Amino acid sequence: MWLWFAKLGSPRWFYELSDKWLPWLYVSMLILMSVGLFWALLIVPEDYQQGQTIRIMYIHVPVASISLACFPLMAVAGTITLVWKMKLADMVAQSVAPIGAWFTGLALATGAIWGDQIWGTWWAWDARLTSLLIQFFLFIGVIALRSAIDSPDAAAKACAVLAIVGAINVPIIKYSVEWWNTLHQPASNFSIDPVAPNPPEVWVPLLVMISAVYVFFAIALILRTRNEILQRERRSQWVIDLVTREKNV
Amino acid sequence: MFEFQFSSLSEFLQMGGVYTFHIWAVYLLFAVFISYNLLQPRMVRRHFLLEQKRRAARDEELSSKTKTQN
Amino acid sequence: MNDAREIQGLKGVSTWSAFCATLRRDLIIALKRRNDLLNPIMFFLIVVSLFPLGISPDPVELSSVSAGVVWVSALLASMLSLDNLYRADYEDGSLEQLLLSPQPLYFLVLAKNIAHWLISGLPVVILSPLLAYMLYLPSEAYWTMVLTLLIGTPVLSLFGSIGVALTVGLGSRGLILAVIVLPLSTPVLIIGAKAVTDVMFGLPVSSHFALLGAILALALTMAPLASAAALRISVN
Repeated sequence: MWLWFAKLGSPRWFYELSDKWLPWLYVSMLILMSVGLFWALLIVPEDYQQGQTIRIMYIHVPVASISLACFPLMAVAGTITLVWKMKLADMVAQSVAPIGAWFTGLALATGAIWGDQIWGTWWAWDARLTSLLIQFFLFIGVIALRSAIDSPDAAAKACAVLAIVGAINVPIIKYSVEWWNTLHQPASNFSIDPVAPNPPEVWVPLLVMISAVYVFFAIALILRTRNEILQRERRSQWVIDLVTREKNV
Repeated sequence: MFEFQFSSLSEFLQMGGVYTFHIWAVYLLFAVFISYNLLQPRMVRRHFLLEQKRRAARDEELSSKTKTQN
Repeated sequence: MNDAREIQGLKGVSTWSAFCATLRRDLIIALKRRNDLLNPIMFFLIVVSLFPLGISPDPVELSSVSAGVVWVSALLASMLSLDNLYRADYEDGSLEQLLLSPQPLYFLVLAKNIAHWLISGLPVVILSPLLAYMLYLPSEAYWTMVLTLLIGTPVLSLFGSIGVALTVGLGSRGLILAVIVLPLSTPVLIIGAKAVTDVMFGLPVSSHFALLGAILALALTMAPLASAAALRISVN
């Protein structure tokens, strides 16, 4: 009885809960993003080596760091799908994949632009860029597998297995690429360690930008998951009621 | 610590002059990325709601027709 | 009554003999289908001989890329032959029988993967010195190349098996299989090819072998589990 209730109830519960969260998330994203962008674009001093291009870091580093979190998140959601057969977890897993691909793609693009003045070339087989590229391929693989399998239940489980295998592989890929490419210097000497050589006027705005992009990630994920909930539960009464209640679309 | 780095708007837009294109390209890509990922789910949702409304209307029409026929 | 005795009989079969039976069965089937046996080797040969045509016949240039070329071609040859792994069994229903058997699926999958490696991986390893010679690989790197391939190609079979198991029920699976499997295979490719290149420069390579061995150990323990889970999902 309880299991049945939890199974049927949880996507709806999430949908209604996220209705309450979204305004707060929008507001905090707006505040964090405007403070972060203002700070990064106008106030951060020129770097003695990179000059004004240090401002690229305030986009590239947050995006890249979140793109690394997407695969583990997908694997966790996949594990929950496999073990507890929770519908909501698979909806989250399905929504993470395209967002992760987007984040990784943007990290690659901004990394290439940054690389043009660090290394003097748009593409270098630098360890970070290369492992991001392979991670991008992994996301494409998960998305392709999902769209190739017709049965939603089998697609959910298959993608969960692939996400777990991929998540185990991501650190191995990262390590082997770094090891392969030890000649290159690390791409950024960024660290949030307070004793790092970077002064606070450089890393505090970076932290603001990272949290802003994290909130943005949460919003994008919730929006996609909500659509997925509506799509999959479209025959249930609460979605039908919701559709009739929605006046202005 | 809190000092403006640029004294005028044109100076700000130039970003030191050397890498103007690179810096603004990154911020432009970021803006595109953010707006796409916020607007795309909205479009999907709108599409879904319209579709469901249309379907409901059609179902209602069908059922009323069968009623009058009977 | 008879069925019950049959099932009782199957339960009596030890895991080890089920493992051996699966391995033997796959090998016999492969030996009967000569084409399936030859195709990966021919593919390997053709791909490797395309590189000199595309790059240059110059010995210096070729020998500098030879390690990578042999490794990438071995990877592609392993990919090409993967489809045989579960496809025929899926179509004639024997895969379902395999899933229903009381022995742990892990060992049966492992047996099938070993059979696949013996059929498609080992011939590539044996043939590789000839191709390395054609690509002017320096002679001191031969043993390293053969050994890295010997450790690396089983990993390719084991990882590939996960991809095939996930896609076995699909109609158009060729490209999806490549998109799933190739990124997973990159660590082996990187380490294997780098070991050969490093030997050419006279660098020590024991750490390369340690890494490859670690990946093989991980693949042997984890990959059949993932393949087994994937097969259960695909076959239902």
